[in-house]
Amino acid sequence: MRHLFVVVVSITLMSLNLFGVDATLKIEKDVEQRARIALVDGSSEQNSKVFDIFQSDLKISGHFLPDTTHHVGDISSNYILPALKAQEYILKYTMDQRSGSKLLVRLLKASDGTQIFKKSYAIPKKPKMPFLIHKAVSDVNNVLRYPSIAWINRYIAYAVYTTPGRSEIRLADYTFNYQKTIIKGGLNLFPKWADSRQRSLYYTSYKGTLPTLYKLNIYTGAKSKIASSEGMLVCSDVSKDGSKLLLTMAPEGHADIYEFDVASKAKKRVTKFQGIDVNGRYIDDESSIVFISNRLGYANVFKKSISGSAASQVVYHGRNNNACDAHGDKIVYSSRESNRAFGDNTFNLYLASTGSSDTRPITTTGSNQFPRFSSDGSVILFLKQRGNSSSIGYINLVSQQSLLFPFNDRKVQSIDW
Amino acid sequence: MKHKLLIATTILSLILAGCAQNAADLDGKNNISDADHIQGDTVSIDENGFGDGSGSYNSSSDGFKSIYFDFADYSISSSMEANMNHNIGVANAASSQIKIEGNCDEFGTDEYNYALGLKRAKAVRDAIAAQGIDTSRMVMVSFGESNAICTDATDSCYERNRRVDIRLVK
Repeated sequence: MRHLFVVVVSITLMSLNLFGVDATLKIEKDVEQRARIALVDGSSEQNSKVFDIFQSDLKISGHFLPDTTHHVGDISSNYILPALKAQEYILKYTMDQRSGSKLLVRLLKASDGTQIFKKSYAIPKKPKMPFLIHKAVSDVNNVLRYPSIAWINRYIAYAVYTTPGRSEIRLADYTFNYQKTIIKGGLNLFPKWADSRQRSLYYTSYKGTLPTLYKLNIYTGAKSKIASSEGMLVCSDVSKDGSKLLLTMAPEGHADIYEFDVASKAKKRVTKFQGIDVNGRYIDDESSIVFISNRLGYANVFKKSISGSAASQVVYHGRNNNACDAHGDKIVYSSRESNRAFGDNTFNLYLASTGSSDTRPITTTGSNQFPRFSSDGSVILFLKQRGNSSSIGYINLVSQQSLLFPFNDRKVQSIDW
Repeated sequence: MKHKLLIATTILSLILAGCAQNAADLDGKNNISDADHIQGDTVSIDENGFGDGSGSYNSSSDGFKSIYFDFADYSISSSMEANMNHNIGVANAASSQIKIEGNCDEFGTDEYNYALGLKRAKAVRDAIAAQGIDTSRMVMVSFGESNAICTDATDSCYERNRRVDIRLVK
């Protein structure tokens, strides 16, 4: 009966176009292991967007099986409706957006109404409301001692083309309910977070004759020039302490990967190839990198140590694997599945490892690109395009769940999380 | 049966919600303090200075002719020979530095497409340099898929975007 209920819920969610489950994922797999939780809205004015964000956060955490009914009730009462006794937890909340955004949450045991957690959250800027919910769910998750889901509190930085030769760099919460343009005018690309606290980001500006890398403090607006290069210049990765960067540069006309010391501005050439070497990502405690190269005649994923000379092939699947991300020993890459110049079902994502030759698909339909690991490596973000619709997708590798959020910008250039 | 129970629960919840509503205390000492990173307002900066949105950057200028490429390829085809010969003549007479811009269609991702655009620019630069023009007189920049001339979803449109534009640095 419970399985039947899950199936019904899944179908309902998909029909609402809020959640989409990729065909390769088995949403029912971990149902028994997740905590059943119901949301009770005590706000003076109920807001479906608030409820949906709570649902998304609980669902993508992989630790909760949220009841999809938007219950309404008194937040101060410890009374539990008989129908909700089957849940393990009740999360009561009020959201007040008359002046800024204010959120109060109470976590109760469904069996006897015992309060486990209570906290209020406030932020002056109303559009930042989603971050309050993410923070509250993250706190609830921590109180119940589940593995951290702090990644839901992070900004996503992304660049979109607006017209030919022009772009904008924007910030969003992971659901893209919050969006704000922070750099507009001209052509500014490849945003990359400069520090773990997300106070600054790197980006490439095409304002001058040569592509130039800048660092921008997103709170103060302080901007500094880092480097410039003929041909192309991209900040592909940042070391954990922020002291070193992996840059794709072409001072000699070939796209190669360099390690750049932020303090001394000294650069060390990591790859030396007459073809294309791009998309460097630190692995193995930053002693090695994985990167994309066409040294076999087609784009594929390779690995090499920072100091060594030999590069080794990592992926033995596909003939056009032209973008990747890495976390620990995990690698996610996008693979072009057809040679048509355009059309559907072009790109899919695959999960691989630096320690083995195993590869498994994690998407099977549509065009799936820009894979990015969450800060803890447990979730993958990607851009999905199917027909005329675009979505931002998330795959929780631990719980094998996925979420899709509608996304209006088809011309995404780059994403960082 | 379960469905009816859910409906009944919802109705009962709505009734109870209308009975008692105590205002939540949002100004207490528990107010958020550990989410300071999202408290401050972020900046918005304007980087105007490239392009005018009118498409004026979308073709060669100063007498040069664009060079077009096959899908995912960066070798100059024989069909572009006449354009290349023309460009070498213009480059020989150029009085300032020559900017060679590599461009791609939209079917690449991230950095790889920019590297592909750069390879196209380099193929053109090397072909011009092979005719005796010093590489120091030329500068290459890849624009990846950012500078599309044509945005229709057709093969002929994508062909027009797989190109190298040449102009003088000003």
